[in-house]
Amino acid sequence: MTVRIVLGAAGLVLFLAAPHVLPEFRLFQICLIAATALVVLGQIVVTGFAGQISLAQSAFVGLGGYGPAILAAAWGLPLWLGIPATAAVVGAGGFVLGQMTLRVSGHYLALATLAFTAIVQLALVHSDLLTGGAAGMAVPAFQIFGIILSKGGELYYLVLPVTVVLFLATGNVMRSRFGRGLAALRQSETAAEAMGLNVRRYKAAAFAASGFLGAIGGALLALLSTYLDPSQFGITQSIYYLAIAVVGGMLSPLGIIVASAIFVFIPEWLQAFQSYLGLVFALLLLGFIVLRPEGLASLRPSALRLNLTRSGEGPR
Amino acid sequence: MLAQVLVSSATAGAVYALIALGFVLIHKGTGVVHFGYGDQVTFGAYLALMAQVLIGLPFWASVIAALLLSVLMGAVIYGGFMWPLRNASLLSRIIASLALGTVMREFLRAYMGPNAWPFPFLLSQTSVPVGGILVVPANLAIVGVSVLVLGLLFLLFEKTVYGKAIMAACDNQVGASIVGIRVSQVFLMIWVIASVLATVAGILVAPVLTLSPDMGLIGIKGFTAAVLGGFNSLAGAVCGGILLGVLEALGGTYVSTALKDMISYGILIAIILARPQGLLGVLAIKKV
Repeated sequence: MTVRIVLGAAGLVLFLAAPHVLPEFRLFQICLIAATALVVLGQIVVTGFAGQISLAQSAFVGLGGYGPAILAAAWGLPLWLGIPATAAVVGAGGFVLGQMTLRVSGHYLALATLAFTAIVQLALVHSDLLTGGAAGMAVPAFQIFGIILSKGGELYYLVLPVTVVLFLATGNVMRSRFGRGLAALRQSETAAEAMGLNVRRYKAAAFAASGFLGAIGGALLALLSTYLDPSQFGITQSIYYLAIAVVGGMLSPLGIIVASAIFVFIPEWLQAFQSYLGLVFALLLLGFIVLRPEGLASLRPSALRLNLTRSGEGPR
Repeated sequence: MLAQVLVSSATAGAVYALIALGFVLIHKGTGVVHFGYGDQVTFGAYLALMAQVLIGLPFWASVIAALLLSVLMGAVIYGGFMWPLRNASLLSRIIASLALGTVMREFLRAYMGPNAWPFPFLLSQTSVPVGGILVVPANLAIVGVSVLVLGLLFLLFEKTVYGKAIMAACDNQVGASIVGIRVSQVFLMIWVIASVLATVAGILVAPVLTLSPDMGLIGIKGFTAAVLGGFNSLAGAVCGGILLGVLEALGGTYVSTALKDMISYGILIAIILARPQGLLGVLAIKKV
C-alpha cells in the first residue's frame, strides 16, 4: 500500500514538473503516446484479455474522432460533452457488434471486424455533407470553463489525466470478477460456458470496452492532430494498433505503454528513412509474433510482474 | 443492358474466384486463413513488374520469372513462418499471416514507391462487339486463364495421386501420415500452389485495377467470395467468386458505383452472421 502511495506521489510530481522542464514538442509526443496507448488498451481488452481477434480498432478510433467534431459542427455541442457522448455511443455499438459476432470466432471474427472497419471508412469517405468526404474535416479546439486547450502543452493537462484514470479503471476491472470471467473465456469458451458464464454477455462487454476506449483515444488523437483524414482510419491502421498490442504484450497494460512510446519515437529515430517506416512497423509485428508472441511484457524481470499475469499464461 | 453487365462482371468474378481458391486451398489444407493473401497477389504482380523494370526482361520472361519466384516465396512463407508456428494459437497464426501481408505491402511501398505503376495488358483493351454485346479481349483472356487454372487444379486434385494425397492430408492429417503421406511436404506443396495462384491472379488483375501497394485490398473480395461459397469447398470458392462478381456489377450498375465495395463488405458480414458455413459449405461442428 505504501509503495502505491509513494509511486502515485512520484507520478504526480513528474506530471506537474514535466511541462516546466520539457519543450512543447516533447509534451505533444507524451500526449500522442498516451492517446495511442489508450486505443491499444481497447485492443488488448478484447484481443488479449477476452481472446477475441478484432480488427475494428481503427473504426472505433475514426468514429470517436469524427463524432464530437460532427456534433460540434452541426449543433454546436462543446467537445467536453461530445467526446464522452460519442464514446458511449461507440461503446454501445461495440456491444452490438460483439453480440452480433458472438456466433463466430477465430477467422470469421477477424473477417467480420475487417469488413466493419472497411465499411466505416467507406461511410466516412462517402458522407461528404457530414464528414467533408475524402478531404477530411477540421477538429474544433477543446474548450472547458472558458479555457481553450489547443497546443500539445495545453492538451497535456487533459490527455494525461484521462489516460491514467482509464488505465487504472481498466486495470481494476480486469482484476475483478469480470476480468477473471474474461480469462476463463480466453482459455476455453466451452469450459467457461459450462461453468455458467454468460459467454455472449462477456464477449459483448469486452467489445463495448474496446469501442469505448478506442473512441476516447480516437477523440484525443483527433484533438492532437486537429484534422481528421478518413485515410487514417482504415485496415492498415487497425493492423498498426494490433502491432503495438503484440509488441507490448497482449496481457500487459504496462507493456503497451512502452510499445506505444517505441512506435511514436521510431519515426523520429528513423528520420532519414521515412519511406521505410511502414516496413519497420510490419517487421516488428512479424518478428514479435514469431519469436516473442508474448511481447515486451515477457522480457521484464519477474519482480515487476502484475498479479494479473503471474499464473504465466500467454495470449491465446 | 443486363446481358452486358453480366458479361463484364465475368472478369471480376473470375479473378475473385482465383483469389478465393487460394484462400480455401490454404485454409482447407493447413487450417490457416492467410490474411496477407491479398497483399501476396499484389506482390506477385510486382514481381513481374520488377523483373521487367529493374532487370529489363521482356514481358513473357518476366511473367515466368515471377511464377518461379513465387514458388520460392511459398516455400519461404511455409518454412520460415507457418511451420515454426504450427503449434501456436490460432490468434498468433492469424496475426502472423496479417503481418506477412503487411511486410510485403510495406516492402513494395518502400522500394517501388507508393504510387501506381502502369502494367501491360496481355491482350488488346479495345472492345469488340459480339452479338450486340461489347466484349474486351483482355478481359476474355482473364476469364480464359482463370478457367484454365481452375481446370488444372481440378485435374490435379481429382485425377492425380499427388492431388489425392493433398486432399487426404487436408481431411485427416494423422490418417494420411499413417498411410505414408508426408504431411509436411503436402503443406509445403499447398503453400507453393497457393503462392503461384496468387501471382497468376496478380498478373491478371493488375492491368484492370491500379497496380499500387494498396491493391492488396482486393484480398477482402477474395475472402467474401470464399465465405460466400463456404470456406471449405474448392468448388464453392469458384461459385462464390463468380456470384460476387455478378452481385457487385449489378449493385454498381443499378444502385450506385460508390456503394460497390460496400456491397461486398456488407455481403461478407451478412454471410458470416447468418450462414458462416457459406452457401455451399457444410457447418463444421467444433468438438471439445
